Amino acid sequence: MKEMLKKLVAQNSAQDNSYIELRYHKRQSNSFMAQRGRVDVANHSLVEGVGVRAMIDGAWGFAATARVDETSILRAIEQARHNALTIVAGRGKKVAHLQKGKMAVVDWTGPGFAELLAMPIADKLGAVINFERQLAKSSKALHTARCRYNELLEEKIIVTSDGAAASARIALPEFSMSAIAEKDGERATSSRGAGVSGGWTCLYNHPALDNMVEETARTAVDLLSAKHPEGGKKTVILAPAVVGLLCHEAIGHTVEADFVKTGSVAQGKIGTSVASKLVTMADTGCETIAGYAVGNIPFDDEGVETETTTIIKDGVLVSYLHNRESAAEFGVAPTGNARAWLFNDEPLIRMRNTFLQPGTSKLTDMISEIDDGYLVEGAGSGQADSNGEFMFGTGYVWQIKDGKKTELLREATLSGIAFDVLQTVDAVSSEFRWDLGTGYCGKGQPAKVDAGGPYIRCKMNVGGRQG
Amino acid sequence: MKSDTKFGMKSGNKAGPTNQQTGDTAAALRKTAGEMQTLAHEILEHGIKKGADRIKVGTSGSITRRLVVENKEVSLANSLEDQKFSLLVHKDQKKGSATTNIVRAESIRKGVEDALALASFSVADPALNMPDSSVAPKAVALDFMFDERTADTTLAEIQELMGQALARATKDKRVAIDKFEMSVSTSFHALYNSLGVAQSELQTMIGWSFFGMGVDGDAVSGFDYDSGFAWKTGDTAARLMETAESFAAKVTANLHPRKANSYKGLVVFSPRAVEELLTGFMLYHASGSAVMDGKSRWQDEVGKAVVSPVITLRDQPHNPAFAGVTTFDGDGMPTRDHVLFDSGKLCMHLHDCYSAKRCKTTSNHMSGGPFGMSLAPGGSLLADLLRSRREILLVDRFSGNTDAIKGDFSGVAKSSRLYVDGKDSGAVTETMIAGNFFEFAKKIEAASLETEAVGGSFTSPWLLVDGISVTGG
Repeated sequence: MKEMLKKLVAQNSAQDNSYIELRYHKRQSNSFMAQRGRVDVANHSLVEGVGVRAMIDGAWGFAATARVDETSILRAIEQARHNALTIVAGRGKKVAHLQKGKMAVVDWTGPGFAELLAMPIADKLGAVINFERQLAKSSKALHTARCRYNELLEEKIIVTSDGAAASARIALPEFSMSAIAEKDGERATSSRGAGVSGGWTCLYNHPALDNMVEETARTAVDLLSAKHPEGGKKTVILAPAVVGLLCHEAIGHTVEADFVKTGSVAQGKIGTSVASKLVTMADTGCETIAGYAVGNIPFDDEGVETETTTIIKDGVLVSYLHNRESAAEFGVAPTGNARAWLFNDEPLIRMRNTFLQPGTSKLTDMISEIDDGYLVEGAGSGQADSNGEFMFGTGYVWQIKDGKKTELLREATLSGIAFDVLQTVDAVSSEFRWDLGTGYCGKGQPAKVDAGGPYIRCKMNVGGRQG
Repeated sequence: MKSDTKFGMKSGNKAGPTNQQTGDTAAALRKTAGEMQTLAHEILEHGIKKGADRIKVGTSGSITRRLVVENKEVSLANSLEDQKFSLLVHKDQKKGSATTNIVRAESIRKGVEDALALASFSVADPALNMPDSSVAPKAVALDFMFDERTADTTLAEIQELMGQALARATKDKRVAIDKFEMSVSTSFHALYNSLGVAQSELQTMIGWSFFGMGVDGDAVSGFDYDSGFAWKTGDTAARLMETAESFAAKVTANLHPRKANSYKGLVVFSPRAVEELLTGFMLYHASGSAVMDGKSRWQDEVGKAVVSPVITLRDQPHNPAFAGVTTFDGDGMPTRDHVLFDSGKLCMHLHDCYSAKRCKTTSNHMSGGPFGMSLAPGGSLLADLLRSRREILLVDRFSGNTDAIKGDFSGVAKSSRLYVDGKDSGAVTETMIAGNFFEFAKKIEAASLETEAVGGSFTSPWLLVDGISVTGG
């Protein structure tokens, strides 16, 4: 396939010096869900096709075909070129050029790919059924036990007319379980989950899945009698999953160069202090801290090799996240952040693994220094805004009183203005964890991303009830 | 801000690389649909031969032309052709499924075998069933859903319309558009099963969406969005301009927000907030799946008052006002109008064939539904609702967490405004709302006379709701 794509790119870019990018993508996925003793989802999916981008005279055209023979791909190339020509006259400002990055020339197979591909489907589905049974039996107070497993086996080949010719095979399994406990008509929910870039063994060794059956059941039961947290501005310690959500939602989106160009709150702030000096934050496509973060990709969907992009260094904003077009416009190197969900999606500027660097504090010390506050565990969903205002949900929180972790409280919603909150960070722990591997970022298309970090202490709004 | 838009049109440009004739798009899609139908029937036979007790085959395909505008410039012209097969098999009271976009007989036969293998490792479930053609007769087509001329709308025509809409939206220079997309899509979907059910439907649709914010000097508002659709080219321009103006008004109104005071009590929900905070909870607890799993609070409440008498909610799957209209549901049952809640009373649980069998009742053709909902207007003017409390929050959007089972919600009131003595005193920032659906659902005090469409799938009045916690920043 790669040789055919190389030949087609060479034939079709030479005629008028246009830019051509061909991206073959095959995705096999298996999805299983068991709950209440039955199997609700047992699905196998296979999707493949080739996406074509053409840039002619500063205008982009895109087309895609699900038929991967030479004739069909040629037709898609012709269509993409035609589309570019259709809009070229209407563009006031043309794309000047694409910034040249380190264009990938590699054939890469990620960890766990062969293991997952070879593993019998019966074993995977069987594990989901068994975990659901274990969870259901773990407490008489449970009304519902539910387990999900999903795996994506990705195969990509990218060839561009300016030098990229690379392939990658990536395995992305994820597992989650949730429980609903019930007593006297009151119900409470708890969940655990993890996703990795790796194989079956790697997935179930993820620290978030330690004692997952017992922890999931116990938390759901304990939350039955838990109170709601009190609303207002509070001193909080955020756990790694919540720190990851903060990095992704509240900062990461505002530094995506397309949002910056539109006028996000990060526009014009390069070189300025946006956070406490304890804060160093990055986005990486090749993390080595744990080696299994879900956003690990050897090259992006423009064929640019990925690396680690430091966004905030010691509290100062130092970089945005770029594709090749925005990098040219900003006069910097591309950061390898162009990503497309499927072959028929055009690449957008997206995050990969976004994280805060660990610091030197110990979690126990951070707790002992708080008179009245919360330890926030378990990230839920989150959203951020162009003005830096963010919101995210949490699974549950622990009350901290007089330096001690005391009472378990129900879920809370946290909000604030991102850069304002980061200025209040006064402690960063040495403990670190990737913890959003089951997450999908939504920005017109889904993207598998990861995020994490240490524990941090800061001040932010906690949503609660008014009396 | 970027330079003003210059939209031109290259004469003679059509949607494809070859000269296009009227009817080309529809003809191409009909040909694909026909080929996939033939293949689907072969697959039904193959599945039964391979040992399936029942098999359902879904086919779909589309031809889409789409333009994307970023920062006032057309950034991408896109054309896509898409097809998909989805297969569901039942064997020995177990199920497995498979999907693929590879339209070749051998790939789809492999899909059947994969689905059968998954079924063999699954858990038996006596409630699995499929309808036959006696209960799922051929649905009657809705003429408004397809227009041959619209199917042939070219990228150049879309570009011309977008130029006009962009000029309208950015007349106020404070409007910053992150992304403005417009597409014309011609699509079909069909469903066949081994018990004789055969449904299909063809549609054209022009859709558009704006996403962006207000920028006034250093002040940046939160993101907002707006969207719309039309079934026919002729209806597009006027509706598109309405959306452009509505979007511009929203993002500029969000600029220079103030902090709100904390209180618990009355707030006004806009139609968008009604969709996010009211109907989501209502549909969850009315759903057949929640009822069959014992998760619904309304298990035995059909015919009883469960929400305020202000609430009457209908599902209208054949109403052209809604983009989600369809003539058949996910089981292949013909869709029909329903009153879901009548003056606060729950009229029915929403069942597909599976949940109906588990609950020992019959399907009301709601697999994948509801399809287009409208909440009945009330008798109050919106202006009067906004005078119900000296300081009252108008919640326009909700960004936060909801717990469908418990009814709890907590999150940020986005694009929301504070009214003091009935007068608009501006947008609010860092304002959170929290409450419980079951507590406020019976405290919905009034609905406005005015209604608004939300995203092509819902129309609603504004509602005056009590018992909401507002936490100012």
